[in-house]
Amino acid sequence: MSVRLLALIPVAVATSLALSAAVDAVALPLFLDTTGTILATALAGPAVGIATGVLTSAVNSLRNPTFWPFVVVQIVVALYAWLAARAGLFRNLKTALPAGFGLGVIAAVTSTPISYLVFGCTTTGGIALTTALGKALGLPPLGACFFGSFVSDFGDKAVTFALVTSVLHALPRRTAARFPLALRAIGTA
Amino acid sequence: MSFWYPATEAPALSNVSFAVAGGEVVALVGGVGAGASTALLVAADLAPRVTGGQIEGIVSRTERSGIVLPTPWTQSSGMAFTVWDEVAFGPANLGWPAQEIARQVDHALERLDIAALAERDPITLSGGELQRTIIAGVLAMDPGLLLLDEPTAELDPAGARAVWRLVRELAREGKAVLVATSDLDALPDLADRVVWLEGGAVRASGAPQLLADDAVCAAGLGTTVAGVWRAARLEPPYPLTVAEAVRRWR
Amino acid sequence: MRAAHPFTQLAVAATLPALAWTLPAPAAGIATAALALGLTATRGLRRGLWPALLTAAPFWLFLFLLHDARTTLAIGLRITTMVASFVWLAAALVPARLVEAMVARGWSVSAAYLIAATLSAVPTLRARAQRIVEAQRCRGLSPRGSLRNRMRALRALAMPLLLSALHDVDERALALATRGLVPGARRTPLRAPADPVLERLARWGLVLVCVGALVWRLV
Repeated sequence: MSVRLLALIPVAVATSLALSAAVDAVALPLFLDTTGTILATALAGPAVGIATGVLTSAVNSLRNPTFWPFVVVQIVVALYAWLAARAGLFRNLKTALPAGFGLGVIAAVTSTPISYLVFGCTTTGGIALTTALGKALGLPPLGACFFGSFVSDFGDKAVTFALVTSVLHALPRRTAARFPLALRAIGTA
Repeated sequence: MSFWYPATEAPALSNVSFAVAGGEVVALVGGVGAGASTALLVAADLAPRVTGGQIEGIVSRTERSGIVLPTPWTQSSGMAFTVWDEVAFGPANLGWPAQEIARQVDHALERLDIAALAERDPITLSGGELQRTIIAGVLAMDPGLLLLDEPTAELDPAGARAVWRLVRELAREGKAVLVATSDLDALPDLADRVVWLEGGAVRASGAPQLLADDAVCAAGLGTTVAGVWRAARLEPPYPLTVAEAVRRWR
Repeated sequence: MRAAHPFTQLAVAATLPALAWTLPAPAAGIATAALALGLTATRGLRRGLWPALLTAAPFWLFLFLLHDARTTLAIGLRITTMVASFVWLAAALVPARLVEAMVARGWSVSAAYLIAATLSAVPTLRARAQRIVEAQRCRGLSPRGSLRNRMRALRALAMPLLLSALHDVDERALALATRGLVPGARRTPLRAPADPVLERLARWGLVLVCVGALVWRLV
């Protein structure tokens, strides 16, 4: 791993965590905690992305320990972002937004079993409430759990993909060219 | 040599050629975008190795080099929780034995006058203190070629004077120093040679007297005294230093 | 009391939740939760026990609403163990010591760098994000307004942060390269934490206990 990629990872992790300040300021129900992971992957590939995702989970867990089991989700996000970058899906919002929605579904599918097995669907208040609602409506427990994760993940991942697309396009060519995957991700390789 | 940054058409440096020997201080002057920083990166073997891009021509180095970049906070290693550890970062990476590291670090801290800060967390330092810490960190690696990019940007005049004194001392000890700076008034006492870069090419080079040259002053790169003399439409040749101006005036 | 070796701290914090999940509930849960809470208590009420209890409490509430008593107890104890172990680790682990421990063991400088640099980058970028938010507030940013406006505002906050962060990466790479950081190389340890034989044996012991529990459970 080159020095540049080694320098990228901590910065990418820190951006994922710092974006919570931005999200709070606009009072939107988003997390954006996979932004760094997706950005790092789109710039430099899956190994860097997975490292970023794992470290993001680790640092998040120091503040809130319940994040740790979801490290699996971060890894899946990195792999998905890698495939998206290889396919050049970050070339404009028309391709990035659907890809983001797709990731929302996959992220929800991945986090549901974790929510169910580790937390009994009480991961957050929101998920617990939607699960209760689902139960009341007669949904099977796993389905109700999925519904809760899905609601929060769907928009979050689409916004994240859109944001990463904007950033990649806003980078000066000479900076982007230094990262192995960046130009391919925005479709100008 | 000539150098292109990645994905750019125009070269950042074209046909730039100069040499720095041990014991010499060479200063690079130029406006923004003139290529001084790039030239330092090439000399430091960081361009194109870390920056990417293409190079044409020969760069020959006989010594290990260390470069100090302009913005201190991005040069902080991120791995040190005290100033002592920060300065020791470089030597530890080189794999030197612990005693040698201690010797070099203590020496460097003393030379930059920051021994009192040794136990502080680098995050709590002021810009000037951090800049001196970074310089100490590079110095502790004992490079034969020292490259400085605006080393006094964050320092007050007294701090800047101390750094320039240190640079001359290091040259006396046999190190080769290449410095890019906009502190032009310090150069007559500091530099053995001055190289004027414009648009990535060498426009002129020579003794510091160059900074009193008409063309250089017209470009805004002369010493303050020379600039004032020229602006007052007094007779060339312009004086380089205050002392010279005083002599001429009498 | 001298602090334990960072690897030992990690081993303990990993073992307790692992056992809570592998061994049969609720007995395992009670034991491990008690141990974990006991550890947090060693860190004091304010930094240890109270945050652990506070973080774990909501889960008990929601579990009680969603599940029967047996499930609530089983899952609740497991979550409490995990929460308490991490809270203890966050309070007890000193990052500088962990980094030095890794270097002293001959791990490559890359791994040590990643951990240390991440921990120091987080507060820096958080502060930068806060500054950007304040600057935008001066220009009229508010949490009210249509969804579209808020999304636009989010972009105006996030883009400068991300772009400046990426620019930093360039500079950091140069600085690291000139200070001799070679990925995969080893570096001289500066202040290796003490690692008495007893602790090393204890760590291996914990690993064996975890493996043993897993095997016992599967068999």
